[in-house]
Amino acid sequence: MKIFCVIPAFNEEKNIAAIINQVRPLADRLVIVDDGSNDRTADFAAEAGVILLKHIINRGQGAALRTGTKYCLNNGADIIVHFDADGQFLSRDIKHITAPIKNGAAQVVFGSRFLNSEHSANMPILKKYFIMPLAKAANKIFFNVNLTDPQSGFRAMSAEAARKISWQQDRMAHCSEIMFAVKNHNFKVQEIPIKVIYRNFGQNFFGGLKILQDLFIAMLVN
Amino acid sequence: MLQQTIALIIIAFFLARLYWQKQKNYIGLNEFIFWLAFWILAAGLIIALKFIDRLVAGLGFSSSGIEILLYLTVTVLFYFVFRLRLKLEKIEKDITKIVEFIALKDK
Repeated sequence: MKIFCVIPAFNEEKNIAAIINQVRPLADRLVIVDDGSNDRTADFAAEAGVILLKHIINRGQGAALRTGTKYCLNNGADIIVHFDADGQFLSRDIKHITAPIKNGAAQVVFGSRFLNSEHSANMPILKKYFIMPLAKAANKIFFNVNLTDPQSGFRAMSAEAARKISWQQDRMAHCSEIMFAVKNHNFKVQEIPIKVIYRNFGQNFFGGLKILQDLFIAMLVN
Repeated sequence: MLQQTIALIIIAFFLARLYWQKQKNYIGLNEFIFWLAFWILAAGLIIALKFIDRLVAGLGFSSSGIEILLYLTVTVLFYFVFRLRLKLEKIEKDITKIVEFIALKDK
């Protein structure tokens, strides 16, 4: 089975080369989507010889993942992995996240920071005990999604599932939208424990509110 | 009475300007009709202010007619801001489609 890994990158010149070196051996094709970076992210990706898709202006992580996923579907991917460029995820988990799809146990697999308490031990306290439970409750109330990690950006999906899952959110709200779409399509879902190395706080409370606002506006537009 | 006259003169100015914009084709027919209806309605409300005062009092409001009109105007403005937000959202999505198309072109 051909595994394609999509990595959206925005101003990640410090990390991108290392991430490419770590992930490349674990995927058949590595697709970097440079999301309108102002630094040399695209140059480093081009030098590394991976597939480079360039957004001419910044459109957000959701949009970059959509572009990368479309490329994968057009080029014969069987499994598509979404990974981050900031070095917070461990590349060794790619093997674990793709395994349930390879053996037919799942069509979509989400990485979860909460399945193993050791993995969430280094999560900022405010995030662990306040923001994440709120986000989880919002997912449950508004989307009836009951996954242990409400905002995991590390996921894998079969090509069949990826063709059916369409997310419209360009920015961070795509995480909830993908989970909602997966639930709506009744795909076989699994969660696997992943470890995250926190280099920054990531999504804060106001970021969470922005996600809810984006989802609400999208509902009205649709 | 003086205030009503001043308001009507201002509306007449905007109506004249609207007509000029349409003549120069700066605005489309739909937009012209919308603003024409808007200013005519505003003029009608100003002329009928005494009637609105009685209507508002009859409905049990303690405020005067002009105050109720002001509240309604603010509500309508909020609605327009909201519509604008939705319109912007659609434009954002169109921009993303173009960016995505360029990124995937020849790939």
